[in-house]
Amino acid sequence: MSCGNHHDLDCGEALDHLYEFLDGEVGPTDHDQIAQHLQECGPCLKEYDVERIVKKIVARSCCEVAPAQLRSRLVAELASVRVQIPPTSQG
Amino acid sequence: MLVHTHDEPRTTGAATGLPVGSHAMSTALPPPESDAARSARFERDALPHLDSLYSAALKLTRNPAEAEDLVQETFLKAFASFHQYKDGTNLRAWLYRIQTNTFINNYRKKQREPLQSSTDDVEDWQMARAEGHTSGGLRSAEAEALDSLPDSDVKAALAALPEDFRMAVYYADVEGFAYKEIAEIMGTPVGTVMSRLHRGRKLMRAHLADYALERGLIRSGAQGDPS
Repeated sequence: MSCGNHHDLDCGEALDHLYEFLDGEVGPTDHDQIAQHLQECGPCLKEYDVERIVKKIVARSCCEVAPAQLRSRLVAELASVRVQIPPTSQG
Repeated sequence: MLVHTHDEPRTTGAATGLPVGSHAMSTALPPPESDAARSARFERDALPHLDSLYSAALKLTRNPAEAEDLVQETFLKAFASFHQYKDGTNLRAWLYRIQTNTFINNYRKKQREPLQSSTDDVEDWQMARAEGHTSGGLRSAEAEALDSLPDSDVKAALAALPEDFRMAVYYADVEGFAYKEIAEIMGTPVGTVMSRLHRGRKLMRAHLADYALERGLIRSGAQGDPS
C-alpha cells in the first residue's frame, strides 16, 4: 500500500512495523524513521491513530479487581500451607 | 529500509525487561533464607500482583469461578516453588508463566471453543472479514468514536478473540509486557507473539467497529471510507 507520495521509508514498510512502533519495540533508528514517516503521511498517521486508540481502550477497559474474598481466602490458604511445610535444608 | 531489531527496544514494558527466571547480577551466594522470611517475602512481593493475575485468569477462563480457582492454584504453586525464584528478576512474568502452565494443564480441556482453541484454527474467513473491515482504515473521527464505547463492549470484543490472540493482546496492551516477556509467558518465539498480536488486533478492530455501528457511534459504510 502506498499513498502515492515519495517518502524515505515507504508506506508498506511503515505499516508493517506500526505495531512494533506502537509497542515501543523498535530500535532508535527505526523509531525515528517511522516517526518521520507518520509526520509526512496522512493516511499512515490515521492508521496509527486507530491502532493507538484501540490499544488505549483495551488497556482502559480490560483490567479487573480481584474479589475481596479471593484475597482473604488466599492469605488464609498460604498461612495454612506454611504451617504444613517442614523446615527446609536444616540438617 | 528498516534495521528491524527486536533486541534493542526503545522502551521496555512496564515490567523489568529481564528474562523470566534469569539470575540476578550478584555472584555471591546469598545467605540461606528461613521459611518465615520467605513467606514474608512472598506476601510482600507476590500478593500485590493478585489483581493483575486475576484479570488475566478471567481472560483465560472467561468464567469468574474458574478464574478464582486458577489464581488460587497459581499462587499456591508459586509459593511452593518460591525458593527457586531469584530475587530481583521478573516476578510478575514468573507468576504469569506459572498461571499459563496451570491453565494449560488443568483448565484448557474444559474450555468449549472447538474452532478457536489455537491460533492456527482461526478460519480464513474470520481474518478476511477483519481485514475487509479495516482495509480502508476507520477515519480518525470514527476512531475517536471507539473511545466512547462502554467498557463492557471492549471486554466482550476481547473475550470473543481466540485464546492465543486474546492473551497476546491482553499481555501487551493491559499488562504492558514487552514482546520478549510475552514470548516467555506464552512459551512461544517472539515472531509468534508478533503474529498473534497482529491478527488479534485486526479482529479486535473489526469487533469494535461492529459495536460502534450497533450503537450508532459511526455511520454504516464509514469503515471503508478512504478519506
